[in-house]
Amino acid sequence: MESTITTYNIERNDIGNAGTVASLTKRALKRQGLSREFVKTVTIGVYEAEINVVIHSYGGEVTVEKADDYIEIIFKDVGPGIESIENAMTEGWSTASKYAIENGFGAGMGLPNIKAVSDEMDLHSSKEGTTLRIRFYITEDCYER
Amino acid sequence: MELQKVLELLDAKQFNLECPRCVKEINYAFVCDLMSDALMMLKKMPSHIGAHGALVTGLVTNQALRTAEILDLETIIFVRGKTPTMYRASGLLFQEGVKSYESVLEEE
Repeated sequence: MESTITTYNIERNDIGNAGTVASLTKRALKRQGLSREFVKTVTIGVYEAEINVVIHSYGGEVTVEKADDYIEIIFKDVGPGIESIENAMTEGWSTASKYAIENGFGAGMGLPNIKAVSDEMDLHSSKEGTTLRIRFYITEDCYER
Repeated sequence: MELQKVLELLDAKQFNLECPRCVKEINYAFVCDLMSDALMMLKKMPSHIGAHGALVTGLVTNQALRTAEILDLETIIFVRGKTPTMYRASGLLFQEGVKSYESVLEEE
């Protein structure tokens, strides 16, 4: 099977629509017969990362690639960047605004949770923007029995 | 616990009345206002258990709906500005035998 690539835009501070990419990805993966557990794991990662782009960045773009043996999602935003990746990866460390917290986010658990659910994760950041790549391996166990 | 009983116990109102495929019973609950907590704590929850679980929250936003959707939770109990309060609602549910999600993970 060929791989499919879907691209979405994410707007800055658009909390009302945050989670749309996760929701659409969830539906698309379910249609392909992947198990509820696997789809949940992938979409938790997508949702957390999507929220990060909405609440921390000036906006960006997401690419979801579904191949036979993996799903890779790349989040690219246009800044302002993460000052310390080491701090950002620490559970409970947060720079979230009051706005984010009022909307149920900003507990400092996003990146650690993305790392916990994904099979591969790379994070690069500068003032010009942040790129997060996460990959999930698809094995036979990932399909609904 | 039957959903109908939950409605009576908490003096709650059901919003999606036309939902023939929805679960009619909840056995588990998770209480939080930070959706990050739910995503962190419930990621290992088997989906068949989640389907009979409820997210109890004061966060009345799209993000509560999204979080429940992502985690395969079929019921959300909104307690913001309500009587009983979040604390009391949780106690009442617990008293009626609705278990915490943590207890399921500990049992597994």
